[in-house]
Order: sequence, then C-alpha cells, then structure tokens
Amino acid sequence: MMLLPCPWCGPRDATEFNFLGESRNRPDPGSVTIEQWRDHLYLRANHAGEVTETWYHRAGCRRHLVVVRDLLSNGVRSARSSYGSSVEASEEPQ
Amino acid sequence: MADAASAASRHSLPLARSPIATVSPERVCDGWVVSGCVSTAALTITDLTPLTKVLVRAPVDGEVAAMLGVGHGRAVPARLPTAGSDGDDAGGLDVLVVGSGPGEWTVLTQPGRAGDVIARLDGVCAASPGTVTLVDLTHGRALVRLAGDRAVDVLAKECAVDLSPLRCPDGTALRTVVSGVVADVVRRDREPGHDPLAGPEFVVHVERSSGQYLFDCLCDAGAEFGIEVQGFDGLWGSAGMTAAPPPTVG
Amino acid sequence: MTRRPWRAVRSTTPRGDPGWRLPPQPGEVIDRSRSFTFSWNGRPCSAYEGDTIASALAASGVRVFSRSFKYHRPRGLLTASFHDPGCMVQVGDEPNVRGAHRRAEPGMRVSAQDAWPSLALDVKAANALVRRAIPAGFYYKTVIRPQRLWPAYERVLERFAHGGVVPDSPEYDVSDRFDQRHAHPDVLVAGGGPAGIAAALSASRAGARVMLVEEEADLGGHLRWGGAEQLARLVELRRQVADSDVEVLLDACVLGRYDDNLVSVVHRGLPGIDERLVKARVGTLVVAAGLIERPYVFAGNDVPGVMLSTAVRRLVNVYAVRPGARAVVLTANDEGDAAADDLRRVGVEVVHVEDARSGGDIVRVHGRSRVRGVDLADRRTVACDLVVTATGWTAPVSLLTMAGDRPGYDDAAARFVPGRTSDVVPTGGLVGDGTLDELLAHGAAVGEAAAAGPDHDEREATGAALRPRPHPALFRGRTHGIVDFSEDVSSHDLVAAVDEGYRDVELVKRYTTATMGPAQGKLELVNTVAIVAEATGRSIAQTGTTTWRPPYAPVTLGALAGRPREPRRLSPMHGWHVAHGATPLVAGAWIRPDHYGDPGGEASAVRSSVGIIDVTPIGKLDLHGPDVARLLNLVYVNRWSKLPVGRVRYGVMCAEDGVVLDDGVTGRLGEDHYLMTTTSSGAATVWEWIEGWLQTEHPDWRVHVTPVTTAYASINLAGPRSRDLLSRLVQDIDLAAEAFPYLHVRTGTVAGVEDCVVWRIGFTGELSFEVHVPAGYGLHVWEQLVEQGQDLGVRAFGVEAQRILRLEKGHLIVGQDTDGLTTAEEAALGGLVRVDKQDAVGLPELVVASRQSPRSRLVALVTDDPDLVPAEGGQIVGADGRICGRITSSRLSPTLERSVCLGQLDSALARPGHRVTLRLVDGSTAGAKVAERLAQIDPDGVRLRG
Repeated sequence: MMLLPCPWCGPRDATEFNFLGESRNRPDPGSVTIEQWRDHLYLRANHAGEVTETWYHRAGCRRHLVVVRDLLSNGVRSARSSYGSSVEASEEPQ
Repeated sequence: MADAASAASRHSLPLARSPIATVSPERVCDGWVVSGCVSTAALTITDLTPLTKVLVRAPVDGEVAAMLGVGHGRAVPARLPTAGSDGDDAGGLDVLVVGSGPGEWTVLTQPGRAGDVIARLDGVCAASPGTVTLVDLTHGRALVRLAGDRAVDVLAKECAVDLSPLRCPDGTALRTVVSGVVADVVRRDREPGHDPLAGPEFVVHVERSSGQYLFDCLCDAGAEFGIEVQGFDGLWGSAGMTAAPPPTVG
Repeated sequence: MTRRPWRAVRSTTPRGDPGWRLPPQPGEVIDRSRSFTFSWNGRPCSAYEGDTIASALAASGVRVFSRSFKYHRPRGLLTASFHDPGCMVQVGDEPNVRGAHRRAEPGMRVSAQDAWPSLALDVKAANALVRRAIPAGFYYKTVIRPQRLWPAYERVLERFAHGGVVPDSPEYDVSDRFDQRHAHPDVLVAGGGPAGIAAALSASRAGARVMLVEEEADLGGHLRWGGAEQLARLVELRRQVADSDVEVLLDACVLGRYDDNLVSVVHRGLPGIDERLVKARVGTLVVAAGLIERPYVFAGNDVPGVMLSTAVRRLVNVYAVRPGARAVVLTANDEGDAAADDLRRVGVEVVHVEDARSGGDIVRVHGRSRVRGVDLADRRTVACDLVVTATGWTAPVSLLTMAGDRPGYDDAAARFVPGRTSDVVPTGGLVGDGTLDELLAHGAAVGEAAAAGPDHDEREATGAALRPRPHPALFRGRTHGIVDFSEDVSSHDLVAAVDEGYRDVELVKRYTTATMGPAQGKLELVNTVAIVAEATGRSIAQTGTTTWRPPYAPVTLGALAGRPREPRRLSPMHGWHVAHGATPLVAGAWIRPDHYGDPGGEASAVRSSVGIIDVTPIGKLDLHGPDVARLLNLVYVNRWSKLPVGRVRYGVMCAEDGVVLDDGVTGRLGEDHYLMTTTSSGAATVWEWIEGWLQTEHPDWRVHVTPVTTAYASINLAGPRSRDLLSRLVQDIDLAAEAFPYLHVRTGTVAGVEDCVVWRIGFTGELSFEVHVPAGYGLHVWEQLVEQGQDLGVRAFGVEAQRILRLEKGHLIVGQDTDGLTTAEEAALGGLVRVDKQDAVGLPELVVASRQSPRSRLVALVTDDPDLVPAEGGQIVGADGRICGRITSSRLSPTLERSVCLGQLDSALARPGHRVTLRLVDGSTAGAKVAERLAQIDPDGVRLRG
C-alpha cells in the first residue's frame, strides 16, 4: 500500500486519504459555457507521468492536499496544503 | 445500574452515560455514571468518556495558537487562568491541551467543566483577531485510556502508525485509524518517580457512537497481554495531578 | 469415506530393515527424550518432539503422502521442506497443511488430501490411463458446452481440485484463530540463513530496528544440514542473534512486498492463535531467501522415492531419517556429492553415482508408488528405492521482482540473478555462491548499508562480492516428466501448448496452469521457461520468466482477514431499543431499530396520538463564522442569505453535475452560528464536501465546520399530541404554535438537560418536534418521554414506520427516490432552485436544467388495486411496452388502507391522472395513475404546521 507524505502528519497509508482526482481550476460559473463546464467535469488529461492531484486526509489532519505524483512509478514528489501554506513534504520519486 | 438509576429519579437530576457499558460496580462521578472497579493489572483500559472535551478552532499560527502553547501533533498539560469566582480552582484549571490538527486543539479536563473552559478561553480568544470557534464535544467523543508497557503492542494490532517510543514519545498527538475508525491518539505518560503506575499511557478517542466498538476491539487485542478494565479515575489517574504545576496559559 | 489401508504403506518397508530412524545425528532437531503419537489416516504414528509430520511419517516408513492433482499419481517427499508439493495434508479441521514443514504434535489428527476414495485405491488415478482426456489447457477445451451442464461440471471438478476440507459446522469458529499486527522495522531480513543472520546482526549493531523472518522453525538455512564445523558456526551465530536486539520471527513467511515497502509476513507457531499476519512497513527489505533446489525433468521423476539432494540432506542430518535403502545419485554439484556422502555415512547403500558434470544422466525411473529402479544414460538399469537428483538451483527472486527488479539470466550459472533496486536488496545465495565466510561478509555489508536507510547509495562499496559459480544447464533429460508437481503439468503438456501456438511463456503458463499451484513457481518456473525455450528454439534469456506476484507462498484467507473488525455505530438509546424488541436495521455502520414488531401500528400511533423515533444518525454539522451564509448559498441550490436567527430552512445540495447529492434542514442558532443537518448516510460525505469547498475554493471564508452528529442524541416526537408530550418536559421554551412555529429552532432545557436544541421540523407530515440532546443524556430524555407520555399513548417507532409515514406525505429520500443521475428538477425539487446567484455548486447545470424540461419526474402513483404494493425498482411501461419509469418507493399505508408509491416517470407522462402500466415481478401487469400531488395525506401541510 502506498504511503503519502502528508505535510502535517508525516507519511501515512494511502487508505487514510480520499483521492479527489487531478487538480483542475474551476471555471467561473458565471461566464463559462455549458460545453466548457462539461469538459471541466468529465475530461481528464490522464498524463503518463507526473500529475498534480488533490487528496483529502480524511483520517488525519483533514486538510486537502496538492500532491504531485508520478503515475508511472507511484512516486510522490511533493505534497502540500491546498492553500498557500508553508507546510510541505516531499519525497523523491522512486 | 439500579443504584445509579434510582439516584437519578430521586433527585430528578439527569445522569450522563458513556456509550461504553460500565463494568460493575457502578458509581456516580460528577454527574456521570462510571465504573468503580479497580484493577492492579499491568495493562489496563479505562473509559474516560466523562472528561470534559472542548474543541478549539483558530488560525494555525495566530494568537490563540501562541496562547495555547502547543501546535499540531503535541499535547501538553496547562493551567487555564481562573475566571474569578471559583473557590476550588484557586490556581486555575488544570487541563491537557492537545494539538489535534492544524488550527485545531482539544482541551481535556475533569468532568463537568465545559462551561468553565469555554468561559475562560472565550475571554482570551475574544481579544484575538480571526475567527475562533469553541465547541463542547464532551458528549461527541468516546475516550479511553490504555495504560501499561504493552499498550504499544495492543495498539500495534489495531493501528498502522508506528507508536513505539522512538516515533511516538510522551506528549505526541496524532489522528489516524484505530480498529478501522478515525481516532485521535495522545501519548501522555504519568510523571515517573511520582506515580507507581508510571508507564506508557495512550488516550484514544473516537466519535461517540463508535465508543463501545473501539473499547471491545482494544479489549480483544489486549486479551493476550492480560488487559483488565480499570474504573474511572480522571484525566490524571488515581494518583492525582502531575507533581509540578503546569505552565499557566495566557 | 473409507481410508487407505495402513498396511499398503507399510509394505514399502523392506523386510528385515533395521528401521528408518537413524541413530542420533549431530545436527538433529528431534528430542529423543520426548516421544508421542499422532494419527495418520486414523492409525497411530510415533514421533519425537521436533519432527515434522513428514519426517515422523518417513521415519515410520510412509512413502506415499498424497495423490497428484490431475492424474492422481502417488506422491512422496520431493524437497522435504516448506515447499514440498507432495505432502499437503489435512490436520484436524485445517486443510492444506504443509506436512514437511509443520511440526508434529501429540494427538494431532493428520490425513491425506486429494485422495478419493483412499490414498492406496484412488479411482481418480484412472486419469493417468486416459491422459488424452486431460490435455494441456483442458480447462479451456473440454468443459465448455453445453452451458446448462456447468453445475455438473463444477461438481466433478471440485472433486478433483486441490484442497482439504474446511468444516461446515457452527463449532468451527475462526475468530480467535487469526490475528494481525503492524510493525515498523528499519530493516526486515527475509531469510534466516547465514547471510540473513549476518545482515540482521550488522544492521542491528548499526542501530537499526531489525526483524529477521525465517520460514523454518530454526535459524541457520543450509548450515543446519552441514558438517561439524558448520554446525559449530551456526551455534555461534544463533548465540549472537539471541544476544542482539533483533526480533526473530520463526515459522514465518514473507508473503509479499508492496508499494513503499509494505511487507506482509504470516507468522505461525504462536500460543493461542493459528496464524498472525504481520504488516511491516519496512525501511529496507533485505532478501536472503537463499537458493531453492530445482527438480530434474524425466520420466517417472514424481515417483515416491525420487528426491532432491537437499531433501536427503535434511532428512538425514536434521531429522535423522533414512530416506531409502538403495540409492542412485545424479549429481552436478557439491550438494549432490555431499548428499551421496551423507547416505554412505549413515549406511544407505549408494549403488551408483551418475555424474552430470561428465555427461551422466537419468532416463527414466521404474515403479508407480515406489521407485524400483532407474535407467541410466548408458542404458543400464539399476535396481534401487531412492533416486537423488542434484541438478541446479532456482534463485527465489520474487520479493525483488515485486519491488520492480527484473532479474537477468546467467547462462554460465544456469540460474536467474537479481538486478538492482533501491529499497529492496538481496544477499546470500540469491546473489551468488561463496564460502561461509564470504556469505557472512556479504550479508554483514548489506545489513550495515540497509541500516543506513534506503537513500544510502554506498551499497556497492561493500568489497564483499558474491558471484554465481558456473553450473551445467540441466532442466530436462531425454524423456518427458512432471514439471509442475503442484498442478501436475508435464513437459509434454508444455511442448503441446507451444505446438498449439502458445509461444509466450506467460500464455503457456495460463494455458497449462504451470507455476500456478501452491509451489508458485519456486520449484518449476525455471524448468518451465527452459522447456518452452527449447520448444520454441529460443534461449532462456529470450524467453524470459513469468511475473512473480504476491503471495510468495499460499496464505489462508483467515490470516488475511485477521480478527473480525466491523465498525458499528450505536445511538445512546440502543440498549433501550434492544430491550424493547427492536428488529435491527443495518444502515451503513449504524445499527438502528427497524421496528418494534408492528411498523403499521407504530405508524398509526403517530397519525393518531404521538410517537418518538431515535434519529441520532442524521448528520449534524456545527457551522460557525461570519461567512456561513455565503457557504450555505454556495452548497445549497436555494437561497440562504436572509435566514433570521431562530429560523430553519429545508435545503437541497447538488453536485457540480447538477445531480442531487443530499438534503436536510439548517437552522440559525445565533448571529454567526448555524446547525446543519444532513441525511444519515450522507453525513460524512457532506462534511468532506463542505471542507473541500472551504479549503480549496474559498480559503478566505471564515467558517469553521465541526461534525456534531453523535454529540447529540436526536429524538423526533411526531403526532398530534407531540406538543402535549414535550411540554411536560420543557419549561424554558414556549412551545405554543404562535411562539414556536413550524421551521423554527430554539435552545433550552429538556427533562432537566441543558443545552438541548429543539426544532419544529419533521419527516412524517405530522406536528412534530425534534430534540437534540447532549448524547450522554439521550437515554434519560428518551425514558422520560416514554414515561411521561404513557397516558398519551406514546409509542416508539422505527425506521420502517417512518418510511411509511414519509411516503404517505410524499417526502422523498435522497438515494432512494433519486439516483446518481437525478437532478433537482427530476426530484420535483426544481421549485427550490435559485439560479440568480453569483456562484453555486453546479450552477451551469442548474441553469441549463431550469431552461429545459427534465427527462423524468418524481410522481406519486395510485394503483388501481389498492392492495397491490409493487416492488421497489419495478418497471413502469408505456402503451408500446417501452420502459418509461420505475417505482422508487412503495408501502402499504395503514392510514389510507391502501398502497402508496413514488416513482420516476418520463416527464411527458408525469401529468396528474395519466394512466400507466406497472410490470410486476411475476411478469404480470397492473394499472396505476399519476396522483395530483406527491402527498397523499395532508397535502396542504395543515397538520405539520399545527
């Protein structure tokens, strides 16, 4: 089982987290077309390499984390709180 | 059970109950029905649910954080300043401040003091900028203490995090999964030299409805080490408070 | 089931033999002062403490331990070790016990598996005569059509499949037999041979927390069957381990290595439990698995009496068992030579040594249930009862490959050798051959580097290199024989598979099931690869290996499951419910009262007087801060900016795709203080959902969310007399209709309990109050309500009665009357949606939905037959038979004395009075029409506002 280096709690089993998918910028609901909105909802890059993802540490600090993970090696390059916190953990990809 | 119930109806004073079934004999302590049993086993489990538990939410590195004197991941004893009129607490109210999350603290103290804790913290917090939230979670959490040298081994059967002294020294606080439910774990030993029972102690608390389940799991895991139930003896154990007065908050 | 006659096995003992137990050997592990008996197929067998089941049986002259999987050929000892495929036995109620590994115990009941009806008279052995009926890939070829015969095929195949018997009796309780624990060693050493011991010791001396895992009952690996000097060195190594801080797990097997060095170990031989799964999160995994001797493939290579050289050395030196009387040895290495020496030393007649290094070979073995003789390369036939082969080694690299290593094939050494990975490192025989001192030096260097941590890259600078020695490439002789002893796959089967076009070794594996049995490739993989290489005209390196995956060795499901741990959540009133005959309803982790015996009566009590229901599981979130109203405006589809203090509003949440996510009421308790309720099942989801919006999109909003679901016991009082009842327990809240109207909230004291929250809300359509009590007092308040409401006819009601009541009232349940595609419009909640907001969750979808008519719509349906309660999930069909909707909820209403239903119906048909057809479970149809309103009782809400 994968470990995620939580910037608050240290390395923890991935099962303590909820995986919320690739991090994406939410379009402005006031100006977006419905087509753009649905692209945002349903289309993923699914890049074979490093991807920026959102994880929620459900069973720990309860922070949403921005995790940079290599989908080919499962190595986590970095994890930080979702909003500009200085707390950051990093681990070289395997 | 009968004693406690009849006490309730005689005085029509409601008695509070833990979600964890009490082991007889029952007694009443600060308005809570608790177990009065005594164990001398080397490994014990105690239902400490009646303890007052107040949740504090405030900015991670603001004034409240500085006032509470402890950050995420650590637990320290502290003394809340006296509000004024209380005769009992001339020196203030002894609490355990647990840094239970980023910008989140749990203040633990003896039963029935939520109002005092909130009043005292309110006074300090009112002056600080940023939103501060105080919630009495006394009834929202079930809290047990595991005490004994094998407490680490019991938890190793129920929890994936390394709780050995090397990684989890006295005063460590963390939240993780114990027996499949989200739990706060605090390692808080008694003062060596002052208490014959001094040894590793872990306080584990979960949301209240899972209390009996957690208690059963820990008893099951501890069976091979001869775990026994100890009656309610307060936050600091039957031997009383820590020897040295903790630093005063504020 | 009849058992094999005892004498059939005894007959393999040559007449006049002095016995199969040898005089005391220097390295023996048996304690001759402690003897006992256990039973083998119902007959007594004597053993010494320290004997394995197999060694005790072998010492009693037993030669046939099982029947092979497919052809049911007699099988004896092959490796006499943990991996021996020929002696899986049933011990008491435990199937698939490794007989050559499990220690015998007094009174143990051991029986043979895979023999039907008996070990000696196995009718399935007829398979061997009709081999053509079970060709390679027979699973895929033979048992395909007709499909209706599958159940019959299954019954027959089950009979022939592996395995013993798991008792199907209520006394068979596994809950205390299995256990789990977590561990966090800095270094875990897999394998307790000399290199593993050295690695563990040096890592420990370097300050690391070390766990040393050995699958056998003693440390030492091959030293245990060595000579006097090796035994002396072993004693010294064991003493050093005992004096160290190394945690030693004996009779324990490393099963797998997973991401970030999670290593699973199954540990046996502990007091009171059968097996404990250790989940170790390891800094560096040192693999010191040694080498596994490879069987040789030739005709008759599975006849009992054909053994590997290491099996002979174990039996003689460790267990003091004479493996045979007349031996022929085929040797290509030192170990084979040493086995021949061992045999001579203990008085076995070594009639011939065939040296494979100078072209010697074995062609075929004669005999069926015992070896009678062997044909040699020079066409001589030699009579014997024991054939020993020493033809090479398999490096068990599986733990390395689980870490991503790709071992390479070393042609000269005729075995695979490890590559390089960072946090999993090999040592010992896996890496190469060497003297004992070289093995110890390598292990010590690896252990020291491992203690420095996975990032330490000085590992190469050990100066203690091990290299594999050259070894003749011996896989298959000139005849065909068994390759996979577990799955009964022969070299002939592999060649046939290649002939049929399966050239890739992974395909050959799946087609023939070679390497897929209990041995998991450790004995047969390299031979399989070599034979496929030969058949395809490629080299072994070109052919490659199949992928080693966890588990390294088969594991019981019990060990993986561990102790039963099923989180359950109970309300403070749970004990009362149980004491009053509640039927439990499992709702997620919650155990709730479904009913107390009469749901219809409970529902009627609510309509006529007053009922109380435990609704503690409904989610409650304490919201505090100046920006709560902005948050509510964002996550609910309706408008929230102007909710006064003391007021309550119903709200619906949709996800970003416009699908209904949850619903509930939120009340404003103070200027910056709100209490939100959610559905019971949605409590955790909504909390995380809201935290997500606050943390990722609006970190500047000042809102603190605290889950208080179980801080309160929640009790709903419903019915026309609910006010009368509550007023008896409440003094400081004016409960009068004018003072405390519908959709208002108050705080006050209930039955002497302070800090209660009292709501005028309800799900049943009746006048109702919901009381949230600090949970420790929940039982007290509940009992007071029951006691004080006696004269009012108060009755506790459960979830089922509530479902009836809400259905009569036409209140939907999210997740029951909606699904993962239902929008607010389709849930008939479109009236709540406000799209004139700056932002809201799913706003673009809400805007689109508001402009077009929904695909379907929630309606109430009235069946023509009032007694018909159509099944939930049942189809609604149009005149043309096309499905145009479904029943989402249905119950019999005790109040209306007829059925009440909700359903999703195509919006074009969802007009009041429209007639539809219901297709029932039995295939028949019934008529129904769309009702005027969702509510069948009090549609104008007079009662609930009372």
